[in-house]
Order: sequence, then structure tokens, then C-alpha cells
Amino acid sequence: MMEEVILEIADLKKNYGSKSVLNGVSLQVKKGEIIGYIGPNGAGKSTTVKIILGIEDNYSGKINIFGHDISDGNIEYKRKIGYVPEIAEVYDNLTGQEYLTFIGELYGLDLDLANYKAKSLMELFGIGEVYHSRIASYSKGMRQKLLIISSLLHNPELLFFDEPINGLDANSVMIFKEIMTQLAAQGKTIFYSSHIMDVVEKISSRIILLHDGKIAADGTFEELKQQNTKGSLEQIFNQLTGFNEHRELGERFVSVVKEM
Amino acid sequence: MQDFRTLKLLDRFEYVFSRFGVDYKIMRKILQVKLTMDGRRVPTIFSQNVKNKDQETNNQYIKSLWIYVVFGLFLIPFVLMGENYLFQMSLFFGIFTFFVMTSMIADFSSVLLDIRDRNILFPKPVDRKTVSTSKMVHVAIYLSFLTIALVSIPLIVGLVKNGVLFFLVSILNIVLIDLLIIGVTALIYLFILRFFDGEKLKDIINYVQIGLSLMIMVGYQLLIRSFQFIDLTVSLEPQWWQIFIFPMWFGANMEMIMNGSFQLLYLLFTALGILIPLLSIWIYMKYNHVFEQNLQKLTYHGKSKENKQSKLRQLFLKGICHSNEERAYFRFASSMMKNERDFKLKVYPSLGFSIVIPFIFIMNGYNTNFNDLSTSKSYLTIYFSLIIIPTIMILLKFSGKYKGAWIYRVTPIKQLKPIFSGTIKAFIFKLYLPVYLLLSAVFIVVFGVRVLPDLIIVFLNACIYAVICFMILKKSIPFSESIDQYNQNSNGAIVFGLMLFVALFAGIHYVSTLFSYGIYLYLVIAIICLATLWKQAFNITWEKIMR
Repeated sequence: MMEEVILEIADLKKNYGSKSVLNGVSLQVKKGEIIGYIGPNGAGKSTTVKIILGIEDNYSGKINIFGHDISDGNIEYKRKIGYVPEIAEVYDNLTGQEYLTFIGELYGLDLDLANYKAKSLMELFGIGEVYHSRIASYSKGMRQKLLIISSLLHNPELLFFDEPINGLDANSVMIFKEIMTQLAAQGKTIFYSSHIMDVVEKISSRIILLHDGKIAADGTFEELKQQNTKGSLEQIFNQLTGFNEHRELGERFVSVVKEM
Repeated sequence: MQDFRTLKLLDRFEYVFSRFGVDYKIMRKILQVKLTMDGRRVPTIFSQNVKNKDQETNNQYIKSLWIYVVFGLFLIPFVLMGENYLFQMSLFFGIFTFFVMTSMIADFSSVLLDIRDRNILFPKPVDRKTVSTSKMVHVAIYLSFLTIALVSIPLIVGLVKNGVLFFLVSILNIVLIDLLIIGVTALIYLFILRFFDGEKLKDIINYVQIGLSLMIMVGYQLLIRSFQFIDLTVSLEPQWWQIFIFPMWFGANMEMIMNGSFQLLYLLFTALGILIPLLSIWIYMKYNHVFEQNLQKLTYHGKSKENKQSKLRQLFLKGICHSNEERAYFRFASSMMKNERDFKLKVYPSLGFSIVIPFIFIMNGYNTNFNDLSTSKSYLTIYFSLIIIPTIMILLKFSGKYKGAWIYRVTPIKQLKPIFSGTIKAFIFKLYLPVYLLLSAVFIVVFGVRVLPDLIIVFLNACIYAVICFMILKKSIPFSESIDQYNQNSNGAIVFGLMLFVALFAGIHYVSTLFSYGIYLYLVIAIICLATLWKQAFNITWEKIMR
């Protein structure tokens, strides 16, 4: 049961014009895993997720989700996927209630059920009082919570979280981490990308590091530590992405700041 | 960044600003940035593609001023009419105030209510006074453009006819009115912000904008007619209650100076005309910090009430939408249409217009005899209300929040049919039906119950028409494209072509009334047409949308 492959990507390539973003990414994700998908800015993390969800097309390679190739045009697989995008673009002239019930209904939920779930989840996440306010009036953290809720309304099997804790306060991050752990224990699979290394380090059961459109490392945190002789995920990240000039760059930066 | 001529002109007053403790150099910098940003406002698809330097100088606002030049021409008769300055000039200033005030609320609200200043400028070592003065000057610059566009031609006419004194006093008065308008507008905002939250204020601004657009549309039709009604020989005796009609303050000083009639009431009016504008600006300056504090409310929004869906509405919705999905899209489209201000601004004025236009045509046809009217076939003018349908059908795919459309790709949407049918039903029932019902009610009163079958046919035809428009127009997911891409001209030909259908509907309708039971036959045909078209129209695949 635990060995069931949920997502399989083989030799995924994608380019925007002459600029290639993904140069052959291959990976397998098994049921119940929490995958920390990390990499420097522009490494292609969000692109990978967008291709899997059908937001971006024109790629080469194979993507199988729940055992089906997604290029066959059957979108039934999306019913079992939840997605939190990196940038919180929503129809924010709607109220939280209007937006969430609409999303729920898009996933085939009954209006009353969607309304009930959305309201309860908002309340549990501490933003119940803005359920009937326009999203335009939400703070950054509230929007992020709304997006997280909108990705979970339909009880999906596979979750893609792209920078999900952006703008959340420390307490909410703790709730969210707990939610992820609980979801994984229920057999949900989570694909999680973030720049905050210590969160990734703590919650991921497996870490995949993407660099220049290729996988530079793949394994549990312990495995990565053994391979790289460095202490924290942050240091491993620096080492694997070939970045060691931070001290020198920092010094030069400050010296320019001092110039008057 | 370019240097603006306006700012070079402003440089001459550097000393004045410095005297009041404003850091002129900083203020100039702020204004330069703001004017540059204004020049880039309203980015159309073209200006985003072509990034050349010439584009930057094109300020959309300046371009839109020509319409005010045209409106200014309507002021000329008041200057030319005669020597009854109290009456003429009060009207003159009244109309002027109306235009400036509405445009102030519609166009300058964004400047007055800009809260970015707070976040960007306040943390910097910039004096508060400098920031608020630059805001005032920014508004004043645009206000002076608008004023010049409106009154320069009438005033030059006045200079020729009534002499230099008239010209100078008018200019002084107009400056005072401008001050009054800035002061009063800011105080109105202050008042609204004190008691309501930002969303309410935005809604109010939105409705003023809608009202202004509608007023311009209708006013254009009515203004020319109204000149027949104005009695040129009105003689106006000053009354005490006229003290509340503030354009009269300015009319009074014209009367006093030009005709030399120094009455006590005139003196009082004149004094008010000078004092109140200065006072309002002074109050605004004095309470500016309160204003700025309350501006913070724009980012805060009170808890809004839960709007419960009544049982009746749910039942109604069940009746018109059969599948759950369709109902979801119906609700979504309805709330988008209700809440999105960009959409409302583009659509509501034409909705209002479509209510008015049938009556304008009736009035043109029948000026005198009501009996003729009620037995005539003038009720067919209700078809004019259909001409808004193509424009709105085009607009339905646009949204200011189009980036939220990623949800369509992420969610498992197999069939597009419910998206389109739900949205179009929402349009028909939420936007068109109220207009139709209002018109029908008035028409039944005017023409009698006999037109009821005709009105039902009109509604069926409106539905058929919406479907036809949908079939002919380029299809897109609703609310998925940037509203900035909406370009009235590019659709002009196709909208015009679609309007011919209205003529066709009305023509057939007219013919059907010539035979007994003709309209009942038409009714049956219309129902069949609608049913067939509705079945066919929405079978659309994703491929068709992607192009």
C-alpha cells in the first residue's frame, strides 16, 4: 500500500523559446510522501507543478498521475488534486464564501457541503470572521489561508503546495505543518516547494533539489546529509547549487552601502 | 523621466511654497514621479507591446479632455444670452460645478485616496506637509487642465461680448469654485470615511462614475432639446433662500459688478462666494491629518453581512438551471457582475441608457398627443433595449481580476456547456431582466395590457439574441481576460452587424402585428427558435477556446 506510485515524471523538458527551464526531470512519488521540492529562484519548481496541473503545456516527456498519462486529455485526475499556487491571484471581488463555494462546486461538491466545509475550515484557521467579506480586503496571510482551504475542500489525494506558508504567521505555520503531517498520515501525498529551508528540513519525508532544470539531489534529509557532509539543509542547498560566494557578495554589498 | 512643462510653470511659485514651509525640491520630485505614473496609466494592449518613448508622453487623461471642450460649448449660450447676469452666470457656474465635481469624484478620487503615499513616502525623511501639499498640487494641476478645457472657449466668447471686466471676474470666480470643489470633495470623503469603511466609499465612487457616464450619454441626447425650453426672459429677484444655491453666490457678484446693482443680498452672496471656498480649503488643510488617518480605513474592511439565499431564490435558481454545475456558474457569474467595479463601470451606464433610449425615441415621435401614442405601435421601441446585449456579451469574458482564471485549468471541468449557459442565464436574469421588467411596467401603463403578448415576445427575442451573439462572437471562458484589453473600436463592426438582428426581430414583430393572431404565431416560433438554438449553441470543446 505504501509503495503505490502516485506520480511519475520521466524526462520532463520544457522551454520558453530558446530558454530551457526543465532539462529532463525524472522522479517518482509514492503514496503518503511529503516531498520538499526546493531549488534556487528560476530553477523550474513552479513550472514543473504547472505542467502537472495542465496550466502549462507544450512539454516533452511523460507524466503519469494515478497511473494515467495526463497528455491523453482526460482531466478526471484533477478531481483528486489540490493546488496552492505561488502567487495568490483570485477573483478577489468575491467574498470568501462566494469564492470557496464556487471552487468547491467546480470540484463537484454540493453547494451546502462546500459552504459548510469552507466555513468550518475558515473558522478553524482563525479567519472565520472574514468569511463574508470581500477577498480584496484580506491581508496577505488571510489570502494564503483561503488558498490553502480552497485546495483542500474536495479532500484530494495529491497536493501541490507552492510556497504555501508565504505570509503566514508563526502560529499559523505551526498549524499548517500539523495539517500536512496529519494529511500524510491519512495517506495523502504532498508535493511541497518552499524557500524556507528549516521548515522543509523538518517536515519533508523526502527532499528533491532542482538546479538548472535538473534534479541535483533526491533523498531523505539524512541521506542528503551523509552525501554532502554539511550540517543544515541550507548549507547543503548552497553546496549543491554551487553557491559559496555569499560572504564575499555580502561584504561587497555592505561596502557599497557605506559609500556616500 | 521627462521634465514636465507644468512643473516648469510651477517653479515660478517656488517662493510661495517655501514660505509655507514646504520643501519645494522634494515636492517637485514627488509630482514628477506622479505625473510620470499618470502618463502610464490605462495601459492598453498596444502600449504594452510597443515600448517607445513617445508613448510615455501620452497622458490618457489629457486625451480625454476634448469631450469637456465639447461640453464647454454648451456654456456659450449663457454667456451670449443677455445682460441678466445673475440668472445666466448662476446657471453657467452651476453647470460648470456639476461637470467639475462629477469628474473630480470620478477621475481624481484615485489621487485623493491614494494610500501608497503612506507606505512609500511616510517612512522616508519627507515632511508631512510637503506630502500633503504635493497631493493638493497634483489634484490642482489636473483640475486646472479640466477647467481650462471647459471654460476657455466660453470665456473668450464672453471677453469679446462683455469685455475685459467680465472676463477677469469670471476667472476669479472659477478659481474660487475650483477651490470650493476641492475642499468640499475632500470633506465629503472625510465624512464618508469617518462613518463607513473603504469598500463603501469605493462603491459610492463607483456609482458616481456610473451616474456620470449615464448622465453624459443621456445629457447628450437631452441637452439640445432642452434649449427649446429655456425661457430667455426670466428675471430673477434675489430671495433669501437662494443663499443655499451656491452657484448664485458667484452669479451675484457678476450681477453686482457688471450691472452695478449693489443690493445687500448681493453683497452677502459675494462675501460667501469668497469666504466659503477659502474656509473649506482651510478646514481641509487643518483636518488633513484626520483625513490621512481615516484613509487607512481604505485598507480595512468591516465585517460584511452574510447574505442568506432565500428559499424562494433557491427554488427559482433550481427552476432555471438544471444541473449543479450550471447553478454554480450562475451564482459565480451573478456575484462577479454584482461585485466587480470595472465591469459595472463599463456595463451599468449602458443598462441605464437602454432604459432611457426607448423613451427618447417615443418622445421624438410624439410630442403632443397622448391618445395617438397609446394606440400606436410605438411600444416596439422597447427593442432598443436589446442593443446593449452584444456589448455585454463581449464584456463577459473580461475581468479586472482575470488572473484568477487559473482555477479553470486546475479544476476538473469536462464540459464547457454549463459554464456558458450558466453565465448567459445569469446575464439575462440579473442584468437584462430588471431593465426589461421596468420598461415593460411603464409600457403596460402607457400602452395598456394589450401589449403583454408583444412584451413576452420581446423577452424571448432578447434571449434568442443573446444566444445568437454568443454563437457569433469569439468564445472565451467568462472573466478570464484582462479588462484593459477591451477595446470598443475593435468590436465596433461586429457589434454593428449584430445590431442588425435587432432590426430583424423588430421588423418581423411589426409584420406579425398586421395579421390577426400573427403575434401568437410569432410567439410560438420564437419559443421553438429559442429551444433549438439553446440546445445547439453551447456544445463547445476546450480546443475551440484555446484557438
